[in-house]
Amino acid sequence: MMVRIFTTLMALMMTATLSLAQQGPLRIEITEGVIEPLPFATPDFVAENGSSTEMGTELARVVAADLQNTGLFREIPARAYISNVTDFGSAIQYPDWKAINAQALVTGAVNVSGNSLTVKFRLYDIFSGAELGNGLQFQGTTEGWRRMAHKVSDAVYSRITGEGGYFDSRVVFVSEMGPKNKRQKRLAVMDYDGAGVKYLTDSRSLVLAPRFSPTGDRVLYTSYETGFPRIYVLDVGSVQHRVLESGEGSISFAPRFSPNGQTVVYSQATGSNTDIYTMDISSGRSTRLTSAPSIETAPSYSPDGNSIVFESDRSGAQQLYIMSANGGEAKRISFGQGRYGTPVWSPRGDLVAFTKQSKGRFHIGVMRIDGSEERLLTASFLDEGPTWSPNGRVIMFHRETQGAGGRSTLYSVDITGRNLRPVRTPEGGSDPSWSPLQK
Amino acid sequence: MKTGQVISAAGHATLIGWMVFGGIFRTEQLPIEATEVSVISGEAFAALMAAQDSPTSQSEITQPAQPVVDNETGAVPEPETVPEQEIPEPAPAPAADDAPDVSELSPLPNAEVLVETPVLPTPEPDVAVEAPESNETPVPQASIRVAPEPVIAPDPEARPDLVEQEAVQQMVTGGTVAEPKEATAAEEAASEIVTEAEKPSAAPETSLRPPPLRPTRSAVQAAETSELAAETQKPAVEPAAEEPNTSSAVDDAFAEALGQDSETPSAPRGPPLSAGEKDALRVAVQQCWNVGSLSSLALETTVVVAVSLTKDGKPIVSSIREVDSEGGTSASVKQAFETARRAIIRCGARGFQLPSDKYDQWKDIEMTFNPERMRIK
Repeated sequence: MMVRIFTTLMALMMTATLSLAQQGPLRIEITEGVIEPLPFATPDFVAENGSSTEMGTELARVVAADLQNTGLFREIPARAYISNVTDFGSAIQYPDWKAINAQALVTGAVNVSGNSLTVKFRLYDIFSGAELGNGLQFQGTTEGWRRMAHKVSDAVYSRITGEGGYFDSRVVFVSEMGPKNKRQKRLAVMDYDGAGVKYLTDSRSLVLAPRFSPTGDRVLYTSYETGFPRIYVLDVGSVQHRVLESGEGSISFAPRFSPNGQTVVYSQATGSNTDIYTMDISSGRSTRLTSAPSIETAPSYSPDGNSIVFESDRSGAQQLYIMSANGGEAKRISFGQGRYGTPVWSPRGDLVAFTKQSKGRFHIGVMRIDGSEERLLTASFLDEGPTWSPNGRVIMFHRETQGAGGRSTLYSVDITGRNLRPVRTPEGGSDPSWSPLQK
Repeated sequence: MKTGQVISAAGHATLIGWMVFGGIFRTEQLPIEATEVSVISGEAFAALMAAQDSPTSQSEITQPAQPVVDNETGAVPEPETVPEQEIPEPAPAPAADDAPDVSELSPLPNAEVLVETPVLPTPEPDVAVEAPESNETPVPQASIRVAPEPVIAPDPEARPDLVEQEAVQQMVTGGTVAEPKEATAAEEAASEIVTEAEKPSAAPETSLRPPPLRPTRSAVQAAETSELAAETQKPAVEPAAEEPNTSSAVDDAFAEALGQDSETPSAPRGPPLSAGEKDALRVAVQQCWNVGSLSSLALETTVVVAVSLTKDGKPIVSSIREVDSEGGTSASVKQAFETARRAIIRCGARGFQLPSDKYDQWKDIEMTFNPERMRIK
């Protein structure tokens, strides 16, 4: 009997010991990483003929600037290169690039023939020692060489990050010149990075709040051309504009396209009351969505077109609300201290960007559409007018400095709050509106 | 009389007690803080006071102007600002940039994307890759003991010994005479070079550590199947219970503990990694797990990546593979896996610092990359 008990105890002890032993491969869990720009190299694109050398350099510089401006990438300077790319078709010397800690390598080739431009590129994952995706080739004209570079950047960005790019896009904004009390404002359009600014209107009448259409071919804006604020629609291709009809004796402003581009939602002030309306562009028929005695304005559609986020002071303070695109009861989503305004729905549909005024400072922030996870990204004397990049990763807005000589400047910031940087424009800028990616 | 004596005795006792033990309760004198002061003149004091008064007037001067409320925020435009903006300036001749440039605004011709591009020649083998492929076909390393010139043969009387010993010499003065021993040469002086790979290992063939208790799933199934088959063939009447052979049971238990059971051949042997060693590996990988360029969707994707390591702790690149994933889409899983793969290769390029005597424990690793704490909140 004693022997049996001893045997059982021995077996139990061995079982306990064995249960502590490792089963299968060693398993560890990594939960903490680092957030730092990914080092990459972009040698000058290889010139396939004699007239392409300069173009090859310019293209590589624009691609590098695009990637570096995101804050997610860090360019390795050319002086650190051990080997260079002199032939687009030659094999990559991975050890040379690995030695300088380049994790991605963009190579390209350019061929200029008269007015025709051909750009090719390849992307390599250095530490994997393999090409990341297939090489691509773009064809166009020499005048559009910057778009070529932006398209290369979009492809590189998309392959590395897994989300769409935003470089081949444009921004319409109000160009501002002169002191505050005598400021000239014109509509202007530019590349997302501030290059290639072109003016759409002159400075004879005050213009406000331009908004791109979902296809990027039209712009809605408010103008004092007739002495009162009216909503206009401008065709970007022909630069022809026309006024959108609105109610007699009222003031219309803050227009924005619906996702399908067929409807405009806007605010209309009659007396001391301001409400939100929609207008079918083809028929000109208007529909009133709100009827509260308070001020409802700054409407913005959700990406699916089923809901509208707007600001209202119906609770006594300026807050954000969401209602159906057909009107009806609205649900309040902002509950923090301060005043919330100019909400804009993210292209991804998960976030709402807004302006917040609290304790004498202005902030650009984002929150989820249920009002949770509010996050303020900026803080300054005056930040206002957020607009989303086509991929929903970056917000552009304008910042005005203090004093009579204050200047309004466009800024961009990542939705994480990092990488806040000014967008260079020839003059001051305000009210930016980001276009979708160009086709 | 008695009362007086009692009072007197108590008083004396108190006095003596205070003299003996009073030092215990003695409080130390607090340090005295001294502050240096400087003497200023009346003019300097007046100037100082004047400087302190100035901010009041400055704040009035620099009072921030109330920002102009955008129309979009809901405020009806103020009438007085409109005429200001509408003041027609002397219509200047339209500048070049005033007039909208239609041609430049027109979009570019659609870029044609040719997916098929010339196929690159196969790149040369990455000779500088520290990890990897070369380890799959291990080549015995050349011994550093091989000299370019032939080594002079050792003296005939020299013979290899496990422990090099110096020749014992007889002491000249005093002491006991040690038993004379022959000098032995170091093993390195052997005339024949035996590489590390050829050298018979002194390590035990089997680990003294017990193997994992739990058999593999297939083993369990096989056991169950055999038991089932045995039961079906079992006679209906159980034979009478015999006296258990306890000695054989103990032997079986020991045999199982010593890993003599061949049912779990893939289980790692040897001592397990300590928590500190695991943490060191975790930290080493974390340093290279850069999630900064991941999309928000990829930041919601957890991937399990398997990797095999060489004995010097370097990852075998070809062995890195995705084992499992959770959340996200196929595209985000791919992004998350590539980022994890990059982290393993980068930080393992010089070899992870792992105890070589526990190689059997860490030669195969499954790393779970969970970005939950790295998400954008």
